[in-house]
Amino acid sequence: MKKFDYYQPENLSEAFDLMEKFGETAKYIAGGTDLIVRIKQKAIQPDVLISLRAIGSLKGFKVNGGISLGSMALFRDIERSEEMRNACPALVEAVSVLANPQVRNVATPGGNISNAAPSADCAPPLLVTEAVLTVAGPGGERDIPIETFFEGPGKTCMDATEILTRITIPETVGKTGTAFLKVGRVSQDIAIANAAVLMMMEGKTCRKCRIAAGAVAPVPLRLHRVEALLEGKKVDQELVEEAGRVAGSEVQPITDVRSTEEYRRHIAGVLVKKAIQEAMGRAG
Amino acid sequence: MKKEIHFELNGYEVSAEVESHKMLLNVLREQFHLTGTKEGCGQGECGACTVLVDGLNVDSCLYPAFEVEGKSVTTIEGLVGEGNVLHPIQKAFVEGGGIQCGFCTPGMIMSTKALLDETPHPSEEQIKKGISGNLCRCTGYVQIIESIEKAVDLMETEPEK
Repeated sequence: MKKFDYYQPENLSEAFDLMEKFGETAKYIAGGTDLIVRIKQKAIQPDVLISLRAIGSLKGFKVNGGISLGSMALFRDIERSEEMRNACPALVEAVSVLANPQVRNVATPGGNISNAAPSADCAPPLLVTEAVLTVAGPGGERDIPIETFFEGPGKTCMDATEILTRITIPETVGKTGTAFLKVGRVSQDIAIANAAVLMMMEGKTCRKCRIAAGAVAPVPLRLHRVEALLEGKKVDQELVEEAGRVAGSEVQPITDVRSTEEYRRHIAGVLVKKAIQEAMGRAG
Repeated sequence: MKKEIHFELNGYEVSAEVESHKMLLNVLREQFHLTGTKEGCGQGECGACTVLVDGLNVDSCLYPAFEVEGKSVTTIEGLVGEGNVLHPIQKAFVEGGGIQCGFCTPGMIMSTKALLDETPHPSEEQIKKGISGNLCRCTGYVQIIESIEKAVDLMETEPEK
């Protein structure tokens, strides 16, 4: 394995100082379950890793109406939190099928999102809940709506000196339900496709909905055409079927080792359809 | 870059001079000669390198050694009790035939330990989830799951020392 130096700053300003000192040969590391693998595969060759694990302000989460999620919260804690499950079932569902227990015991939402894999399981739930990502750097802090955060596979709008510090999920109003579904070879694998849905209902009418899918485009994708189809309409079986069809045409998947474009289109439609039904069921 | 790290290893306070790019797995095997912990894929897929850090099962192949400073690490060697008595989980795997080539076994047992510490009476579904990060390429899991069920019974009758 390539040699690298490893620093463990205890606060953000120490982390920024280290990043400033070492520049582009350095990388921040969260739980490491993606980054260390990429170093071992020689996909990246940093000389310095700056660990975020000792920075207390990035840990944990709070639920009070909305959710304030530290970027270095552990998936294992999110998975086990009844409070989180009640506040955002889609996120907890995504986290519970993300990789395996050993990975979830160290991995973090900040790492999952910052790596910007198109298949990142955390992304669709955060897209449909319109999460705001707080990013801090030597020059200060800024808030970024998650929809504008991803720029391509492994690419985000953060610059290399910045750290994702906090994920804020706004409180949902009215009768709102969320759901997340994923298809992989087995569930712990990287997704062939995943999808999340948020439905705000008034009786049988959809007041607002947010639909997102992953592993079906260069970035985790909001499906605006499907949303437009549903919003303001009475949701019946026929409309849900139509939503699935539109989802299958709105995604832009590729064929790779995990699946084909054709299957991804098909399964994205199925996942969206099922997730709409599940989210509606929870919106009561 | 090198640093002396201090941590608890199988109940003993230890320290070691460690290079910054080493993973916990390397330190356990190469510096402490605890070769019960195996390297399989090296990428967090197979779980052969599973150890407990502060009671949680983690893949030691992806765990930077510097991060164990001040923490408590348990390896398969640490489960054996006074007088070389097997831990009930180990005994259950031996008696239940939850072992074939044995390469996945230390990791499988460490994940079982973490599972049973949190959930002493798991359902079959919970067992499957608990060992979902551990791959076995020999037996096909049936006897492993049976062994874990047996371990639950054994731990009732002969609790850990």
